[in-house]
Amino acid sequence: MRRVAAVAPLLNLTLVYTSPALAHGFGPTYDIPIPLWLYLYGAAAAVVLAFLPLALFSRRERGAAYRYPRFDLLRVRLLRTLLTSRFLTGTLRLLSVGLFVLVVVAGLVGLQTGFNIAPTFVWVIWWVGFSLFTAFVGNLWPIVNPWAVIFEWAEALARRLGFRDGLELGEAYPRGFGIWPAVGLYLAFVWVENVFSGSYVPRYIAFFVLAYSLITLYGMAYFGKETWLRRGEAFSVYFGLLGRFAPTEVRVEAPSVCAGCEGCEPGGCVNCYECFRRAAPEERELNLRPPAVGLGLQEKALPGGAAFVIVVLAGVTFDGLLETPLWLEVLRLTPVTQTLGVVLLPLLFFGIYLGFVWLSRALGGGGGEGFLRFAAAYAFSLVPIAIAYQVAHYYTYLLIQGQMIISLVSDPFGWGWDLFGTAGFDPRYGLVGAGFVWYSQVGLIVVGHVIAVYLAHEISLRLLRDPRRALRSQIPMLVLMVLYTITSLWILAQPIVE
Amino acid sequence: MARAVIVILAVALILGGLFFALRPDTQAGGPRDRTYDVSVENGEMNPAEISVDEGDRVTLRVSSDTPMELHLHGYNLEQVVEPGEKADLQFTADITGRFEIEDHESEAELGVLQVRPR
Repeated sequence: MRRVAAVAPLLNLTLVYTSPALAHGFGPTYDIPIPLWLYLYGAAAAVVLAFLPLALFSRRERGAAYRYPRFDLLRVRLLRTLLTSRFLTGTLRLLSVGLFVLVVVAGLVGLQTGFNIAPTFVWVIWWVGFSLFTAFVGNLWPIVNPWAVIFEWAEALARRLGFRDGLELGEAYPRGFGIWPAVGLYLAFVWVENVFSGSYVPRYIAFFVLAYSLITLYGMAYFGKETWLRRGEAFSVYFGLLGRFAPTEVRVEAPSVCAGCEGCEPGGCVNCYECFRRAAPEERELNLRPPAVGLGLQEKALPGGAAFVIVVLAGVTFDGLLETPLWLEVLRLTPVTQTLGVVLLPLLFFGIYLGFVWLSRALGGGGGEGFLRFAAAYAFSLVPIAIAYQVAHYYTYLLIQGQMIISLVSDPFGWGWDLFGTAGFDPRYGLVGAGFVWYSQVGLIVVGHVIAVYLAHEISLRLLRDPRRALRSQIPMLVLMVLYTITSLWILAQPIVE
Repeated sequence: MARAVIVILAVALILGGLFFALRPDTQAGGPRDRTYDVSVENGEMNPAEISVDEGDRVTLRVSSDTPMELHLHGYNLEQVVEPGEKADLQFTADITGRFEIEDHESEAELGVLQVRPR
């Protein structure tokens, strides 16, 4: 029953405009809320495990540099040929732009109320699937970012046509802007994903993509491609953040290459793709590393840096919060609207977060690094909890809704095609039982919590160096993490309101 | 070093013990027969949410004010309902999870079936 399976996740448009609290941006939830006992257990485990490092790590050498084990994949000849193959990167880029164009075209001319590749590709495959890939394998976005690829092709063409300076105007990027433009754009995206009732309508998806393309291409032309990608392109910053969690990194061990590179951080050129591209083959490393350690690296504290992380965290929580009965009460009893919530929740998170950072610094003796550096550093330690929650919340969605892509590639516009013979494919439910889902969700969040706790420990040592002060300074952060983890678990335990 | 081992063992014991203490015993009694009277009026299903346990034999006795076809996701079952008569949709709840119930024609979501694991 191809048509049914395809259209099933789509909410009827009339329902869209009458119901105040909408489920997921696209597609229903397949999970049952976790039972109370499991929620309490997760909360208790979070508390116990948060204070584990305090009991374990009471001594550490002063000023030991932040290190982690790494293995350079490029040293294995087979992998080196594979991973640095220009054919591979070229194909990936072509594929990325091809899919980009397909989504826009499908959005504009394809069937609007049923079988259409645009919503599933954007929300399931790209937003959930590619995000998880980035977090758990590595950040490919600098290679496949369709806007970057299109701009590079346009520039190459322009150069060939005689424009010696390419397409970049080369205006100076105001230092004070930092990554605030990316923060703003990402916030707008959170609104589209969670609040905008037409987020799954193919035509609107196409419009948003085109609008964002205009902004991005203009930003790249005006300020320079790399500058805009690093400061203003919301998804480059977002995937860069997830890439810090990933178990792979690119590194350049050649100070001469990195001198003057805007993107390189003090103390090591990690995940700076600009330098990686410029460096000679023997100076490049593509390292396998333990997950999450990248979040402990020292960060260039850019204006808006901590804010971006907080907005990502708040966005993840907001997504889940929207389906809870509590939110329905808030909407009913207060003047808060869904749109207002998109702005208020990050502000609330930010306020709470800064309060805990202040406490952390105060308990650490007030010395050491400045407040902003504390804020920028500790924000990263919360990321594993958000990633764990995202996986927990979305993996069944990816598993079930993601199967739709099998039929959609055969009929991307809903015109009755069957290009690959798979148009009649029905998604299979019941791949994982609800009990397994419960345990894996809680397990994931608790593991994310433990990783976060470990990072807070490492970061406090880097900021304060003295182990005893670092230990005291961690405590507010640990409390914050426990609160954040329990909130995430609480959301999973709530009855689902659609 | 010894201290670390002791701490880790203690934590493992606490967490393990807590888990078994909190976990409820599996449902006493086996799968049950459950029947629900479901009415669809003005595009709304009553009750909108039906919760059963894994293995239950479920009967949905559906009545509707307009002729329609009910579709249950996951189980991929359909039931035609004519106004004025009650139609029975019967199945064994062997897949756990949350499944949408919709109006096949308009694709409007009417309600949800939750099958809880044992």
